[in-house]
Amino acid sequence: MDAKDRLNAVIDNIEKVIIGKRNIAELSIVAMLSHGHVLLEDVPGVGKTMLVRALAKSVGADFKRIQFTPDLLPSDVIGVSIYNPKDMEFHFRPGPIMGNIVLADEINRTSPKTQSSLLEAMEEASVTIDGVTMTIPKPFFVMATQNPIEYEGTYPLPEAQLDRFLLKVKMGYPSSKEEVEVLSRSQLSVPIDELEAVISLEELLQLQEEAKKIKVEDSIKSYIVDLSRQTRIDPYVYLGVSPRGSIALMKASQAYAMLKGRNYVTPDDVQYLAKSVFGHRIMLRSEARYDGITAEEITDRILAKTRVPVQRLVGQ
Amino acid sequence: MSAIRKNTWFMACLYVLVFFLLAEWLTPVMTLTSTGHKTLFLVFIVLGLLMALFKVPWIISGPVKLLYILWFIVHVYTDSFFFSKDAMVFVWADLQVNMEALFSQNWAQTTDIFRTVLFFALLWMAVYLIHYWVSFRLSIFLFYFLTVLFIAVLDTFSPYTGNTAIIRIMVIGLLLAGLLHLARWTERHHIELSGDKIAASVIPLFLAIAGTTAVALYLPKSGPVWPDPVPYITSFSNQAGSGTGGNSVGRIGYGVDDSQLGGSFIGDSSPVFTAEVDDGQYWKVESKDIYTSKGWELTENVGEVAVYENGEFIKTDFIPGESEEEDNALISMDQDFPFVLYPYGTESILMDAAPNYQYDAADQRIETFQQGNVFEPQVYEISYSEPTFSLTALRATAPEKLAELPAAFDRFLQLPDELPQRVRDLALEITSTSTTVYDKTRAVERYFSNGSFEYSQQDIPVPEDGQDYVDQFLFETQRGYCDNFSTSMVVLLRSLDIPARWVKGFNEGELLETEGTRDIYQITNNNAHSWVEAYMPGVGWMLFEPTIGFTGSSEVEFDVEVDASDPVEREQPERPNPIEEEDDSTAGAGEEANGPDFWDRASDIWDENKAKILWALGGLLVLAGILYKIRQKWLPKVLIPYYRNRGESASTFEKAYLRLLKQLELYGIKRREGQTLKSYASYIDSFFGTSDMTRLTRAYEQAVYGGNPESVDWNELKESWENLINRTSG
Repeated sequence: MDAKDRLNAVIDNIEKVIIGKRNIAELSIVAMLSHGHVLLEDVPGVGKTMLVRALAKSVGADFKRIQFTPDLLPSDVIGVSIYNPKDMEFHFRPGPIMGNIVLADEINRTSPKTQSSLLEAMEEASVTIDGVTMTIPKPFFVMATQNPIEYEGTYPLPEAQLDRFLLKVKMGYPSSKEEVEVLSRSQLSVPIDELEAVISLEELLQLQEEAKKIKVEDSIKSYIVDLSRQTRIDPYVYLGVSPRGSIALMKASQAYAMLKGRNYVTPDDVQYLAKSVFGHRIMLRSEARYDGITAEEITDRILAKTRVPVQRLVGQ
Repeated sequence: MSAIRKNTWFMACLYVLVFFLLAEWLTPVMTLTSTGHKTLFLVFIVLGLLMALFKVPWIISGPVKLLYILWFIVHVYTDSFFFSKDAMVFVWADLQVNMEALFSQNWAQTTDIFRTVLFFALLWMAVYLIHYWVSFRLSIFLFYFLTVLFIAVLDTFSPYTGNTAIIRIMVIGLLLAGLLHLARWTERHHIELSGDKIAASVIPLFLAIAGTTAVALYLPKSGPVWPDPVPYITSFSNQAGSGTGGNSVGRIGYGVDDSQLGGSFIGDSSPVFTAEVDDGQYWKVESKDIYTSKGWELTENVGEVAVYENGEFIKTDFIPGESEEEDNALISMDQDFPFVLYPYGTESILMDAAPNYQYDAADQRIETFQQGNVFEPQVYEISYSEPTFSLTALRATAPEKLAELPAAFDRFLQLPDELPQRVRDLALEITSTSTTVYDKTRAVERYFSNGSFEYSQQDIPVPEDGQDYVDQFLFETQRGYCDNFSTSMVVLLRSLDIPARWVKGFNEGELLETEGTRDIYQITNNNAHSWVEAYMPGVGWMLFEPTIGFTGSSEVEFDVEVDASDPVEREQPERPNPIEEEDDSTAGAGEEANGPDFWDRASDIWDENKAKILWALGGLLVLAGILYKIRQKWLPKVLIPYYRNRGESASTFEKAYLRLLKQLELYGIKRREGQTLKSYASYIDSFFGTSDMTRLTRAYEQAVYGGNPESVDWNELKESWENLINRTSG
């Protein structure tokens, strides 16, 4: 089985429990393959948890879940050293972050301090407690959910933190037909328990390595850079996409190309992922809000006007 | 197939128009071949179109049509309305006869019935073809074009008159083209129009066509720019004629009695004389002045009779042109005439027998006498110089001057009292916009080439008692030969008080051979001709040629323009100077001797042909512009062989693909700036209904984005590429 078939097997597996959200499943896998993390922004009850659990089950990964509340402390996330009077030593009790796939539920409900402890762990893939650095087992994939920030009692994530998520994805409600199907399936049993792993963790690590080798032609790279630069000069944009954003777009495109069974990135891959990669990285001016312009619309506009490379770059 | 083809009303509309177009084909064929039962043939067409419209399967429509043909034969050839035993026996017997004739290749033995069946088969085929064009190709242009051509050719070369047919065809064709364009357009953009929408888009088309047709019908029509080609062509095969008159069918040739004109002619190619000249001439014999409403007679003893010696200058009504242009004509007679056939601008005549020449001012005839006896010359030489007329003078021929002409001109204004008023009215109408006498005369001369007159020597009636020869020709028959045209012109001119006379003689004849600058013409009885001389006040007598298809004319010098403005002419005096200067400078520098010569010549050529060169350059530019503008149409024809024969190198495919993108853009499907090749390709494929573009794009992406140009097999992709390139030229 080549990479495409294996990955599609994972997606098919997820689809057994999540109905009609194939694109979300795809994006999650893309993020996982490129060592990134996903920020799911949506209201409760649309299947966010189910998606992450299904994904974890499909790859045979260790699944952890952290429910963020306003009184949650950093140690509740990364773990704590407890003194054991028996051997008179501190023993480290790992927090829920020490898993392969972590669901960070309602991340914007907790204090910035706790948020940043999670985000640091995400970026470094390790935690440091009492001067001891502990590596989080690989693969490590965080899927954080956040309620839309208009809701009360939330702490919006700072810009720098948002940048650490590879993709921001909106789940959306299922269509009425899909929802009926959801109802009928849930009548029988809890389907998630029946899911079995279709690839192993080792295979997943191997795929992650393969994704890095997917070819990105120079013209595509410069296309990605063009797109990022366009966000920085847009009159509605206060803060555009950083070079880290460009890297994120490239890596995500590589993973997506692999998912589609290609060993090279095309402009279509870039265009498909641009909205998810750029959406949370573009900070809008207040004029944009008055005019009702969203970051997605700005990305669309930039995609429409930026020249797609159709030839190899000459002289570089 | 989209909805518009399934809209029965729309298709019915198309088929009705097609029916009318087919009927336009049928009508002339039936008229010209004297075939009857037009209605029954039309019914057959209707039948065919109806069955095509309702998509009746061939298994039903075929037998129905065959049955109709059979019924037609029974009905027409046996006069029984229904199939009867006798009728069937008759048809069967006829079938056997024809089969035998066919197998023995005895084509002449086939009967009318067989030809009828063939004609039906032809109609069947035509209906099928049109059905195909309209229903599947949604294009009628070719058929429409052929119809116009067909009617135009028939109108020109056969007795069929397509004056109204061509208008009907135009209207039908425009409607059809408009409707089919709408159909093609909706299909191309995958638009499904409801019946109301179709009606809404069709109504403006109907209104536009109705409007333009109405305006076009109302507007005055100008006459044809060139003469009716048939008499023109036949005039070269010596079918032209002038009359002896009297009989209903006369033999063509020169005659004396012209008192009763009209009637048909048969050709007579017996030679009259041969003339060796520089250019073909009209050979004048005499003129006549009294119009009797049936023909021409001559006023006796009015003018002076002058006698000239051999070689002496003969004073005619035509002053010879400038002497350096003097020509001479050698005439050798095959028939005996006691007079001289002389060209315009005659100065003197030489004969071996040295007779006396008697010039009669009454009829301008030059008779030959020898010692008081009538003499018939065999060979003679005429010195002449074609008279030229100054356009300036002709433009000064104010109609007021006509009133000042002496009484001697009255006989050239004579008209019979019983001349119908409508002839006079017509003359006024023709010349209503002309201001000078010359303009009026030219207007009358040109009137006969307005398209409503026809040159013919057959079935030309002789006027009845109480009927005027000219009136009959102008208003009733409008068909005739030179006598009709020339007499009518003289009468029209006279009714305008312009002195005019009817001239008889021969036209140039047939060019036998050319020796150096000399042409030898053979003039036969077929070349007997009549034309018109009219008097331009202040200028003199001039020749006019009203008969369509004949080319005689007076030489008019365009001397007006020289005075007014001619920049090239005026620059000429200044020209030598720069050339001289150039000569000096080059001589001083000691350059090649060829240099100045070449530049001299080049600048001469430039000066002489400036306008031509500029026009040619302009033309080339326009041509290049047009070629560039329509490059989308022809470029594929060039590109396909070019890329087909290019090497197998990886870059060939990439270049070909990029060329295809350009070609598609020219075709009108532009890739948007931010559109990826893949999404563009799927649009192209959905547009053309192919999968070629996606296939090519996948390969191209692999080559370019995948950095793997070697993976491409150009040979395998060629077909897809050519297919798309070809579509872009459509």
